[in-house]
Amino acid sequence: MIPGKYRSVSGRAANNVNCGLHLVIQTSSLPEKSKVEFRLNKETSSFPGRLLQHDLERNYSSRQGDHVNLVSSSMSSFPILQRSSEEKILYSDRLTLERQKLTVCPIIDGEEHLRLLNFQHNFITRIQNISNLQRLIFLDLYDNQIEEISGLSTLRSLRVLLLGKNRIRKISNLETLKSLDVLDLHGNQITKIENVNHLCDLRVLNLARNLLGHVDNLKGLDSLAELNLRHNQITFVRDVDNLPCLQRLFLSFNNISSFDSVSCLAESTSLSDISFDGNPIAQESWYKHTVLQNMTQLRQLDMKRVTEEERRMASVVAKKEEEKKRESHKQSLLKEKKRLTINNVARKWDLQQNRVVNTLTSQDGKDSDSPSQDTPQIEGSAVSTFTEETGSVDSGLTVTDTHLVEVDGDTLSLYGSGALESLDRNWSAQTAGMVTTVSFTFIEFDEIVQVLPKLKLKFPNSLHLKFKETNLVMLQQFNALAQLRRVDQLTIDPQGNPVVNFTLWKYYVLFRLSHFSMQKINGTEVTQNDMIMAERLFGILAHVASSELPPYRMISILGDARKKQFRYLLETKGKKPGIISEENNDSRRLTGENTNRATLNYTTREFYNEKLEEIKEKNKFCKMYIEDLVKEATEINMKNEALHKLWPQMFIELVRDAVIEIRNKNSYMKLCLQQITDQK
Amino acid sequence: MLSPERLALPDYEYLAQRHVLTYMEDAVCQLLENKEDINQYGIARFFTEYFNSVCQGTHVLFREFSFIQATPHNRASFLRAFWRCFRTVGKNGDLLTMKEYHCLLQLLCPDFPLELTQKAARIVLMDDAMDCLMSFSDFLFAFQIQFYYSEFLESVAAIYQDLLSGKNPNTVIVPTSSSGQHRQRPALGEASLLEGVEASLFYQRLENLWDRHKYSCPPPALVKEVLSNVQRLTFYGFLVALSRHHGINQALGALPDKGDLMHDPAMDEELERLLAQVPGLVNSVTANPEASYLSSRTPPRVASPWRPLHHTRKVDAESDGSTEETDESET
Repeated sequence: MIPGKYRSVSGRAANNVNCGLHLVIQTSSLPEKSKVEFRLNKETSSFPGRLLQHDLERNYSSRQGDHVNLVSSSMSSFPILQRSSEEKILYSDRLTLERQKLTVCPIIDGEEHLRLLNFQHNFITRIQNISNLQRLIFLDLYDNQIEEISGLSTLRSLRVLLLGKNRIRKISNLETLKSLDVLDLHGNQITKIENVNHLCDLRVLNLARNLLGHVDNLKGLDSLAELNLRHNQITFVRDVDNLPCLQRLFLSFNNISSFDSVSCLAESTSLSDISFDGNPIAQESWYKHTVLQNMTQLRQLDMKRVTEEERRMASVVAKKEEEKKRESHKQSLLKEKKRLTINNVARKWDLQQNRVVNTLTSQDGKDSDSPSQDTPQIEGSAVSTFTEETGSVDSGLTVTDTHLVEVDGDTLSLYGSGALESLDRNWSAQTAGMVTTVSFTFIEFDEIVQVLPKLKLKFPNSLHLKFKETNLVMLQQFNALAQLRRVDQLTIDPQGNPVVNFTLWKYYVLFRLSHFSMQKINGTEVTQNDMIMAERLFGILAHVASSELPPYRMISILGDARKKQFRYLLETKGKKPGIISEENNDSRRLTGENTNRATLNYTTREFYNEKLEEIKEKNKFCKMYIEDLVKEATEINMKNEALHKLWPQMFIELVRDAVIEIRNKNSYMKLCLQQITDQK
Repeated sequence: MLSPERLALPDYEYLAQRHVLTYMEDAVCQLLENKEDINQYGIARFFTEYFNSVCQGTHVLFREFSFIQATPHNRASFLRAFWRCFRTVGKNGDLLTMKEYHCLLQLLCPDFPLELTQKAARIVLMDDAMDCLMSFSDFLFAFQIQFYYSEFLESVAAIYQDLLSGKNPNTVIVPTSSSGQHRQRPALGEASLLEGVEASLFYQRLENLWDRHKYSCPPPALVKEVLSNVQRLTFYGFLVALSRHHGINQALGALPDKGDLMHDPAMDEELERLLAQVPGLVNSVTANPEASYLSSRTPPRVASPWRPLHHTRKVDAESDGSTEETDESET
């Protein structure tokens, strides 16, 4: 029985006097064998080895193997081997023909009990003439010139087949060798693993130093315990999990660059020893702990014991990686959702704008005194499927189909008009305090104006406002920003804000919001010259707006603005009246606004239209009232004039009547007396 | 006062001619709107302020368009207010688009219609390339004609169209709506070899308007002057000529002459003071030393025949050291 231990085959096999053969599979290239002194027979009964190989009749002064006699036969081209009967008896089961300069396998006669045959270091090109050695267990053809595995079909008992360092290109013709235990094919030109699936007893397979590009087709090797694949060109490994007994796998010096290419190794429960050194994968930073994490059963990696410490580190790192991956996956999901929502909102916005344009063109023909156009109602408001708010209220990201609210450190971004409602939420003081930039996109400016007081309250530190696609069309709209506490920077994106096309818009902003002492507009610093220019351009407007307005109008306009603010504030829920009055005082103190600009206000279209309606009503009433007055006045006037006309005549009549009455003095005196007595 | 002419008119017509009712109605309306505030200092006071502001032309500031358009005096006041407020923009030399001028108009009147501005721009640009930039003075004078005489211009446009298409001159011409001006003009190449219509014929047609029109029209003599200078003219050519005519401008009385358009020493003085208050300003902009000696009582010497002649400058509450006393006491 061949024990399971292998050592390098050297010529010392013969030293082993114990029965049984000591065989070892070479795992690395054989060092140059210097000595193959192989004297079995001490009685130097030297037969001159008349070696006459018909194709090697050269100077041949090498050692000999066993005392063999190679006699050229006349009948065939093969030399015939003969041994002395003594030797046959002594070493009946083994025959060594090392370094015999053999180019062909000689015919071996009468050695049917042979169990070990050694042909190392020869020049044999074909395996032949050994079919009769049907008891052969050990066949060593290391270091020859064999190009094809053949001639082994009768060797059914063969257990060890050493074919290293040959020129074999293909694994074949091993079908009958079902008992094969060790197969050594290192140092050949094999490109593919094949035709080994029937070798169910094979325990060691050495395919080092071949031309393998990948590993698979290992099914059926149910006993394989060691697989040597060093020094190949392997890029991926498969099928290893089908090897139930595999314990050692050597993949050093191949072309493996990722763990995925050897993922099947993770499935193998029997592997305990593996080597990857010399592969690109071993250079990676994650190499060690990835391997250890995926192959927890390993005991040795790259010929070094795996310590507990290493294992622990590996699992920790792996867990962290997992976390990171999950996080980034979640982030990318979120980003995707955000992107989709923003696209959705943008589309809705475009639709809305287009529809406005359509109504404008249809109204163009009509003469209209009040040119304000109402933005038409969006037919069938988009049904928004509300997704759960991620995390707590404060987490700052709400994504629905119609709008998007996002708090990202110091920036609050609102997309879509629905997002404005989020300002009503209970923001924690910390989150709200950190927000310094508020960005509005795809929201009508008029709607934003209405929530500015809320913004002032909830996000007191917001100093930078950004507007994109908010339909800023008039300089007047900037007046609305004056009610905020303070704005340091203003960014108006040209996209969707036609107001930026005006030459004077920046100066107007600086003028109207001079009390903010703005630092930057659209990224460019505000210089002293800008401020001067702004004042120069619009200073007179402010002067006119303040000093030339009749006082009652001043009061009414200012009162209007305050009233509006009240209204907005009152509409927010949970507002206590006490706070409102505080707010008011606050605004009066802190605004420090140039009062001469305070009358420049902006009323959103809706409110303005409302106001116009009210005014129309009042006008109607006033008209009626005045008409009545006028009617009265004209009537009186008419009567007055009529009286003027008639009066002279009437006066004359009166006088004449009186004169006629007192023409007769006596009778008149009597009449008067009578009247007096009658009265009593 | 008690001139016979005055008494000759029936009551309503008399009142209407002077637009007295408009102002009365508006005054009562304003009273209603601000009754809480006005109660504090009395109704008589309110009426005083109101009619003072009407006299001075400041009653149109920040009012709705329907009011501004209501009377010629309102329109003229508005024009003047616009000039005063934005003269500095013109002085700066900026050329602006029609939309931007419209924006400026909206600062003073939030619901000012875009159509009017567009029509004014058409006059300047001769109905060409509506996105072109215009200078302040060009726009202002064209706008004046368009706004003050809007109804007149509509009728003129209708007449012009008729002449172009060679209709019967005896048909009664009713001022059409603004769509009249938007009617497609017949390709001039087809209608006649020469552009436009003959000036004298045109004038004959126009003469009807002066009799019938309730709205204000430019003085006939001046229009005749404009038309006598040319043989033929196009509609926009006519309007441009109107807008550039000094006499018409003076007859209107709202704006100074073109040469003096950028001059307003009183306001400039004001502006200097405001500039001096700009925080952090080191060198004050060159102050006109003479201006400070000018007594603000003297009416501005600009050739502006602004009819309610005393142009009392309201003393700014902030100004100190001013020795003038105005008749009406301030707040």
